[in-house]
Amino acid sequence: MSILVIQILNSLFYASVLFLIAAGLSLIFGVMRIVNMAHGTLYAVGAYVTAWLMGKAIALGVPLGWLFLLLPVGAGVVALAGFVIEPLLLRPFYRRAEEYQLLVTFGLLLILEDVIRFLWGGMPITADTLQDVVPIMHIGGLVYPGYNLVVIGIGALAAIGLWAGIYRTKFGVMLRATSQDRRMASALGINVGLVYMSAFAIGCFMAGLGGAIIVPSQAAVLGMGVDALILAFVVVVIGGLGSLQGALVGALIVSFVRTAGIQFFPEIELAVLYLIAAIVLLIKPTGLFGNA
Amino acid sequence: MTILLKTVDLRKQFGETRACDGVNFVVHKGEFLSLVGSNGAGKTSLVNLISAHLTPDSGQILFEDKDITFMTVSERIKAGIARSFQIVNLFDGLTVFDNIALSIFSRDGKAGKIISLAEHDDDVRRETLEVLGQFGLSDKTAVLAGGLAQGERKLLDVAVAYALRPKLLFLDEPTSGVSTHEKAQIMDTVSSVVRAGTVTAVVIEHDMDVVFRYSDRIVMMHEGAFLADGTPDQIKMNKDVANILLGVPLSV
Repeated sequence: MSILVIQILNSLFYASVLFLIAAGLSLIFGVMRIVNMAHGTLYAVGAYVTAWLMGKAIALGVPLGWLFLLLPVGAGVVALAGFVIEPLLLRPFYRRAEEYQLLVTFGLLLILEDVIRFLWGGMPITADTLQDVVPIMHIGGLVYPGYNLVVIGIGALAAIGLWAGIYRTKFGVMLRATSQDRRMASALGINVGLVYMSAFAIGCFMAGLGGAIIVPSQAAVLGMGVDALILAFVVVVIGGLGSLQGALVGALIVSFVRTAGIQFFPEIELAVLYLIAAIVLLIKPTGLFGNA
Repeated sequence: MTILLKTVDLRKQFGETRACDGVNFVVHKGEFLSLVGSNGAGKTSLVNLISAHLTPDSGQILFEDKDITFMTVSERIKAGIARSFQIVNLFDGLTVFDNIALSIFSRDGKAGKIISLAEHDDDVRRETLEVLGQFGLSDKTAVLAGGLAQGERKLLDVAVAYALRPKLLFLDEPTSGVSTHEKAQIMDTVSSVVRAGTVTAVVIEHDMDVVFRYSDRIVMMHEGAFLADGTPDQIKMNKDVANILLGVPLSV
């Protein structure tokens, strides 16, 4: 019984991180119709920056509780990068065919991977001090890191915040209008360039936050971005690219299947995920919640 | 009567076709003006030129005595010119409420309050509901625009343009493709907001019954130029107009 509770918590933990990454990917696609190949690497940047900042902060003797503040800071750094990347790198390619956008974001992926390697080298960076700040829980006779519950909470808050931002605020109305018809939105006097830049930065913030919250429990390592990108693609294929609900449901499906897979059929755990994605593509090519 | 809009020798040519052949168009403040003529007469081109969806080859457009010839679409919206299109232009994935609210706060440019809750902004909410009430859409606020019937879509389309609170509102065939009953509803609504003195309307319309019933003044276009200009009674008496409406070629 306690194993089951722990597996459910583990699934929700992965779902939170996956949702953050996939929701950002989906938001960026939904608004500017760009599949951002570098999205997973932006998640990795969030992890590296946060881990590095925590190392510095601990060395400076900052009280451990304050380290939590570094989670949004790490995500904020990635969002700032987004504010630079969108106007400089992506904007010149909106009028071009999709291949160009895929190539330019793939190029960005390669560049960012090398930047990570250049700045932090090939060794993993850990930030597990933060995990130790949160008390350990006892479930049945087993121990479980309380930090994982914090991650689940942050994931839930992010989902609510993003939903409210998109469906309840003026900015959200402009965002949805722009994503439906850029020309019409601009004819109404909406600053489409600013909407694009903000949407991309919010997407980057989500990815960065995903990296920031996972790094206290798993070290930042080279290649983590590409692994995350692949899983995020599975999530959006299942849920529907461009849909927030799709990202949430897709992240839950992928996480639960993956946790069950690791437990019961570890050899084909990833294969089962791809199989689900393939079945969704066959039955409903737009994904469970997609419509375009 | 105060002149609101004036074009001076406005010209636009597409290849050999003269869509606008030296048009001197005057709109007076507070009037309900209908622009009529057969297909290809240049009505939509003239409206496109005035709303900056086309650039003139030559000529000048004056709005409230200011030269707006080189202003962009959004600058002209800010100056007070709004329009609807022949094809309904709505955000189908947004609710009826949001379609109107979007017009209102993109008009106001309330960038500082951009993250505020749209529904909780009392001014926007009140005005949105007021506009929806005027257009008889009060019970549809939470419906997606894509789920409306054709007549309601036309009404909402006009309401979106009206919510920009223009001084001059162009409506391109607001009653095309809707039932006779809905035609009357759309035109009654437009006419009542014009009569309330808040807006001046220029309507492109094919249904001559509608045109004669609602217009203060009618301008007839033919081959990119004005053929007739007058009150409904004057237009009814005009022989050239009658010939065109009956499909008789003009005697040159």
